[in-house]
Amino acid sequence: MSWDQAVERAMKNSIPRVYSILEEHPYLSDLAKRLRDKKKEVINNLEEYVEKTLESVKKNGGTGYLASTPEEVREIVYKIVGSGKRVILGKSMVAYECGVRKFLQEKGNEVWETDLGEFLIQLRDDPPSHIIAPAIHLTKEQVGDLLEGKLGGVDKNSTHEELVSKVRDFLREKFVTANIGITGANAVAADTGSIVLVENEGNIRFTTVSPSIHIAITGVDKILPTLEYALIEAMVQAAYGSLYPPTYINVTSGPSSTGDIENKRVRPAHGPKEFHLILVDNGRFKASKEPILRDTLLCIRCGRCHFHCPIYRALGSKWGDPPYSGPMGAMWSYVLNGDGKPALLCAHSGGCKEVCPMGINIPKVLEYIKWKSLKNGNR
Amino acid sequence: MNNIKFLGKMIVENLKTQGMPFPTDPRVCTGWAKDLPRKSDTIIFTSCMYQIEPIVPTLSKFLPSAEKLKSLMPLSRLLKPTQQQIQRSYRILNNIVLSLKQSGINVGYLYEEEPYSGALLLELGLLDEFSDWAKHVASLFREKGIRKVITVDPHTHNALTRYGEFTQFEVEVISYLELVTPKKVEGEYVVHDSCLYSRFLGLREKYRSLIERSGIKTIEDPMITGKDTSACCGGPLAPVDREVSEKIASNRTRDLEKLGNKLLVLCPICYVTLSPHFSGEVLDLAEVIL
Repeated sequence: MSWDQAVERAMKNSIPRVYSILEEHPYLSDLAKRLRDKKKEVINNLEEYVEKTLESVKKNGGTGYLASTPEEVREIVYKIVGSGKRVILGKSMVAYECGVRKFLQEKGNEVWETDLGEFLIQLRDDPPSHIIAPAIHLTKEQVGDLLEGKLGGVDKNSTHEELVSKVRDFLREKFVTANIGITGANAVAADTGSIVLVENEGNIRFTTVSPSIHIAITGVDKILPTLEYALIEAMVQAAYGSLYPPTYINVTSGPSSTGDIENKRVRPAHGPKEFHLILVDNGRFKASKEPILRDTLLCIRCGRCHFHCPIYRALGSKWGDPPYSGPMGAMWSYVLNGDGKPALLCAHSGGCKEVCPMGINIPKVLEYIKWKSLKNGNR
Repeated sequence: MNNIKFLGKMIVENLKTQGMPFPTDPRVCTGWAKDLPRKSDTIIFTSCMYQIEPIVPTLSKFLPSAEKLKSLMPLSRLLKPTQQQIQRSYRILNNIVLSLKQSGINVGYLYEEEPYSGALLLELGLLDEFSDWAKHVASLFREKGIRKVITVDPHTHNALTRYGEFTQFEVEVISYLELVTPKKVEGEYVVHDSCLYSRFLGLREKYRSLIERSGIKTIEDPMITGKDTSACCGGPLAPVDREVSEKIASNRTRDLEKLGNKLLVLCPICYVTLSPHFSGEVLDLAEVIL
């Protein structure tokens, strides 16, 4: 089956489901509006919020870092992880952005993606084809063939359930024996230093709890003023990403803790002994200072814009710098890599701006990027 | 992907020397109007879009080699739409003028002095060049005492409504869709919405109400003709990357064909982009309801 068929199926599944979710739970649209206001507040005062977040992480017994570049991220991660470890990843697009998985492998670690889609594309060495559904380009039959070759015991005729079960069996042992768990964060609360992660598979819950060290890598754009808004972000992201209610929303505030002896809070308890939060700049601060472009930082990466965009439908992951594709990917490619080429392919179809929960006028941002990029000598 | 910087340079050169983004026979642009006054504070503004758009797909084929073939560019003046294409575009423009007249609106026309809107510069992201051109057009309008411009296509309408961001522009810009009354028509059509009218210019309800008042029954599917699902035809990407443009057109047509074999469009770019892919009949709104 071709990309055309795969993406059409995904659109057919996703678009009506988001309509129904929003109709059934009308409070979600209001939450999205409130969230946009708070995200704007943070973007307007980014330095201040980063500082506040790092202080809050420290108060919780965790360690916070601000990394300017992907190289700095990798350096910090290496200092924590070292070599010869088993590392599990819980789907972090910012970790992908910073090349963390391949870097850790090169440094002699065994690294496993644990999100099913990410695991599949790790096996194939493919780039993600969608921000929240990274293996959207693969059919059940292709997954069957892939797993037959890599793990055995299933094939292209296996059912969806059998394929999922095969991966579950394979990864279960990795979850239990991993030394380090690395995740992203859908949102970070500046007031409590908590990270919020939304998911359905349970892999993130495992990754944040089972290994003795948890590292979260995320962009500074994910900061929200309070835990209240960080939780709202998770709900809004899940809904506009078409899976609501999400199976899990995880909150992590520092290493594991207990207050069970005389109500004194003691760390660690059963979960991780160490919690590290790496906040990544990589062009985000610069973007926050530029009118129009700064709206990119409002993006909550729900991936809804992809399914309302004819260019994404035509090009898939070829449009944008991995792991970012689609209309949001055309914005992020410029913010992170200074790559204006994806923006030049925007045909201002406009569906993206109609459905963006953060009300980002994506074609307007892309028009600005086209202008900047052409002015600076790109084609 | 084509070299947009080079393309922009070429467009600007042509605008300076010919007044159009590529060399064009001015008679093709003006031939539709015979007795409209040259002097009027209210004009119809075609930007030669309906007239010349049929040759754009041919030009787009040469764009990847444009740098090498630069010296041959003046020859594009020889490239003309077929008589049938010319007559069709003239019929559309005359239908609009007649319908405006029936609504009590008499318009003037600038004939060979009618400038291009600059839409292509704007949509390619060449905002500095667009800004310069907007200033030129705004000054021409001031000189001619023009206070109201009636547009006939979404790209021109969009460009003119953006002038105010770049220069002083106090001319009222209004689409013919807001001024005409439809005649009675029977039949079922699939509507391919214009992206700009529908999602950028707030005219979706306006033209959809015209269609409804005409008696046309539209065939809808929320996944294909909804406000946030009805995708672009691909045409605006033809100067950037013809292959991607064609792929989008083919995807869009495949969807539309599921609904019916009579397609209604509101834009000359949509018409030329979708027509080669659509197996049924493609008609412009102004051909059907005016």
